[in-house]
Amino acid sequence: MNEAILELKRQIIEVLNLEDISPEDIDENAPLFGGGLGLDSIDALELIVLMEKNYGIKLQDPAEGKAVFKSVAVMANYIEKNRTK
Amino acid sequence: MNRQRVYIQATTQISIQSPLNENWMQNPIQYERPFIRSIEPNFRDFISPIEARRIGRLQKRALTTSLTVIHQSKVEHPDAIITGTGLGCIENTELFLKDMCSQGEYLLKPTPFIQSTHNTISSLIAIYTQTHNYNVTYSHRNISFECALYDAMLQFRLQKINSALVGSHDELTPSWYELLKKVGYSGNPSAEASVSFMLTTERNNSWCELGGIKILHQPSIEILKLSLGKLLTDNGLNLSDIDAVITGINGNQATDLPTIQIYKQLFGQIPLLHYKHLFGDSYSASGLGLYSAACCLKYQFVPSTLYYMETEDQIDNPQNIMFFGQSDYKDYSLILLKSSCGK
Repeated sequence: MNEAILELKRQIIEVLNLEDISPEDIDENAPLFGGGLGLDSIDALELIVLMEKNYGIKLQDPAEGKAVFKSVAVMANYIEKNRTK
Repeated sequence: MNRQRVYIQATTQISIQSPLNENWMQNPIQYERPFIRSIEPNFRDFISPIEARRIGRLQKRALTTSLTVIHQSKVEHPDAIITGTGLGCIENTELFLKDMCSQGEYLLKPTPFIQSTHNTISSLIAIYTQTHNYNVTYSHRNISFECALYDAMLQFRLQKINSALVGSHDELTPSWYELLKKVGYSGNPSAEASVSFMLTTERNNSWCELGGIKILHQPSIEILKLSLGKLLTDNGLNLSDIDAVITGINGNQATDLPTIQIYKQLFGQIPLLHYKHLFGDSYSASGLGLYSAACCLKYQFVPSTLYYMETEDQIDNPQNIMFFGQSDYKDYSLILLKSSCGK
């Protein structure tokens, strides 16, 4: 597994408090929302905070967030291109 | 008008003793350290991991004790959910405040904020059980639980409700314990408490009857005696009918001795019981005191570990137990429990 994707999965598990779920359980190409993880709008907020705090990326346009949080792989790709720290 | 009679239909606890059972009556767990966190059951037996991930530890405990008494009493949707908590969800409050400091009040995580309010506990129970009735939280330090119980009794007396889920829930964080030490507090041990009671008007299968409750602020000894007399008279009892008095003596001689003096003035030679040496002290400890008394009445025996004086005569088949609480010599409470079996 790509190291960046693995690290992102670990961070998601931590901030969303996904007990019983290991990085291997998360399919990086599966939808983050509306899929098996059962994430909701508060999780989206947590992910926005994660992006800004850990990578210095500010997501202000909700439409942009919807595209960025499509899957872990898409999220990791976006971080790679836009991170400031 | 006949008084509405109120019974404890079910009660359980998560504390520093074995959770969700009464094993402490036969095999109490002894501790030598001053700060102890609760022994937790397997929460997954009650709450799914996906649901649990946004629920703090105190809320999990409160929800678990609540679901247990709901199950035991078969009252799925109580007419009232009333919670007493001194500190509320202090663990999440601390997380939120630490984030505020470290992030310069800028990047704040939503989950600790959502979980940081005192009334999160009661509202979570309501949402989880789909119970959209009277829902109130009392936060008045050591008498939070008494206030919640008093409210429930008033609602029963006014015949507004036939059932109430009353809880007493508090957690203790390391930083709060450090603050307690700094101000010289010495309740030994300091611990956590989560107790739920299902009160109903149904006598059958109940643990005991809740005879009444008095809360007094800075009373004189005369006022305390009058209130005690009124509580007994309302229940057709005399002082000699009380089998035992259970108090919140916590091992701190500076506060225990004056409490015992008042107890002697009020109750004379009635056997004295204590419970904080088993369950620890917290803002919700009085809930465990009442729970202990209810256990004695349900099982019709008083465990030897509850007697304050080793020389005390064994109480057989207790019928009436009085809870006597005091906090900082300002707030006093009297709660009468009566056996609902036999007589």
